[in-house]
Amino acid sequence: MIRFDNVTKVYDQTARPALDNINLEIDRGEFAFLVGASGSGKSTFLRLVLKEDRASSGAVYVAGQNVAKISSWRVPRLRRGIGVVFQDFRLLPQKNVFANVAFAMQVIGKSRSVIRDTVPEVLKTVGLEGKENRLPHELSGGEQQRVAIARAVVNRPGILLADEPTGNLDPTTSMGIMGVLDKINQNGTTVVMATHDDDIVNEMRKRVVELKNGIVIRDEARALYTSMIPVVGQSRRLKDASGRDEEPPTPGDRQPGAGEGQR
Amino acid sequence: MRLAFILGEIGSGLRRNVSMVVSVILVTFVSLTFVGAAGMLQLQINQMKGYWYDKVQVAIFLCSDGSTAAGCATGPVTPEQQDNLQTLLESPAVAQYVNDFQFESKDEAYKHFKDQFSNSPIVDSVTPDQLPASFRINMKDPQKYQIISETFSSQPGVETVIDQRQLLERLFSAMNAASLVAVSIAGVMIVCAILLIATTIRLSAFSRRRETGIMRLVGASKMVIQLPFILEGVIAAVIGAALASGTLWAVAHFFLGEYLSKQYPDTAFISPGQTLILAPALLILGGSLAGISSLLTLRRYLKV
Ligand SMILES: Nc1ncnc2c1ncn2[C@@H]1O[C@H](COP(=O)(O)OP(=O)(O)OP(=O)(O)O)[C@@H](O)[C@H]1O
Ligand SMILES: [Mg+2]
Repeated sequence: MIRFDNVTKVYDQTARPALDNINLEIDRGEFAFLVGASGSGKSTFLRLVLKEDRASSGAVYVAGQNVAKISSWRVPRLRRGIGVVFQDFRLLPQKNVFANVAFAMQVIGKSRSVIRDTVPEVLKTVGLEGKENRLPHELSGGEQQRVAIARAVVNRPGILLADEPTGNLDPTTSMGIMGVLDKINQNGTTVVMATHDDDIVNEMRKRVVELKNGIVIRDEARALYTSMIPVVGQSRRLKDASGRDEEPPTPGDRQPGAGEGQR
Repeated sequence: MRLAFILGEIGSGLRRNVSMVVSVILVTFVSLTFVGAAGMLQLQINQMKGYWYDKVQVAIFLCSDGSTAAGCATGPVTPEQQDNLQTLLESPAVAQYVNDFQFESKDEAYKHFKDQFSNSPIVDSVTPDQLPASFRINMKDPQKYQIISETFSSQPGVETVIDQRQLLERLFSAMNAASLVAVSIAGVMIVCAILLIATTIRLSAFSRRRETGIMRLVGASKMVIQLPFILEGVIAAVIGAALASGTLWAVAHFFLGEYLSKQYPDTAFISPGQTLILAPALLILGGSLAGISSLLTLRRYLKV
């Protein structure tokens, strides 16, 4: 679904590259975490998928298409296939919950009746039924993030990108959000989530790609067989399993089903 | 759906910076009024030129019923006198200065008069009998007017010889200068209007950057994102142009029609209806100025 071929991104010629020769493939329906310290290049990775920026070298493929070859008037179509969620929710403050979600459908020309049918359904998926008429400032942070997720997935994108979606939320609320993202992933959407939150990563036991200074230093698939079930109760036990070791970088090295301590 | 959405966006955009929109309306209104004033002066010059102005330079008016000139002692011009005059015009002594001449009968004179003064009350009180017949001469060299005048003034049957250009040229050059001033002021004002529209659109795009950012992310097309901003500027400018057209109409109706035409009953004025010819031009000019300036602004400030 997403493939990076020797992708390098240089913002500033004098500084090190934000992404340095990345090779990575994320399959359809997969759930992947992007982790790493601040400035390691997680947001840059997501921006390249969205064609918000162009790679300095190498090729980015989304749904089999090289995004560099997509002409500018077709970029909107690429983005319709990708939902995005941010740390700061980015809701429209003067629109209520329903209108915020409906907005994503209006601007791509969906009919009123389709919007009336789809929005409540999606709000139910994210656990917001009955709150359609609230304004964003009348919601908790977790609820606001659910609205943002509903907006991101209302047009049924094949990919959902989340850039630190739980960054502003407490651990319990974060787990609720993770439950929503997992549900969306189970419906077939590929989810890529950039995060600093190692508790969440450990509890989810999904694939983890760790970046450091723009290089992939770890790529592990974890608990693939149980990933369809949220694993809230097992968090403490699995915490030890988080392979957060600082070993020499091995770009693009992915080991499905890897065990503890392994890279 | 998309149309309703775009209209809603335009509405909220216009409401959100009312003061800027009002200033765009006023600036386009003033600048296009000056453009229109220049246009009106040109229309007025055309109106005053009448049928003959651009075709001939000299008119030889023949005696009619009430003529008191020396050459009209025998009463209205007779057919023989008229033939003699035509022979004289065609004689080599005169013909060397003349490109071309035409005879205008009383009926033709009446017809041309009616056309030119169609907007004035005077047209109803004039009959063909009151208008003199004339020879209209196109000169090879308009400066040689004196020769024609000396040759024909004393001929029997000739009431007077007139150099039309001398009468009107000074007035026209004043009016042309006034149009030029109006156009220059309009040019400066249009620059103001363009800059103001650009600023307004920029502010509007800035105040709605949240919405446009989200629109971009969910894959709204460039048109859906930009059109509300462009139409916002265009609508304001078109309102300004409509006000300018209304003002020109009011000037033609109240100032020319009700006031000046009474002060100068023997001058042909344009009708209020004629100023409406200018309206579509002003609307298109205003709309396209706003459209182009907002399009250029958005290219820089609203990345898609
Ligand atoms: N628009 C930009 N112009 C110049 N440099 C940039 C730009 N965006 C990011 N960078 C640089 O690229 C590097 C990677 O940034 P990026 O935002 O991808 O990091 P990140 O992993 O998302 O960090 P965080 O966890 O803090 O969000 C950083 O060194 C940053 O300074
Ligand atoms: Mg980031």
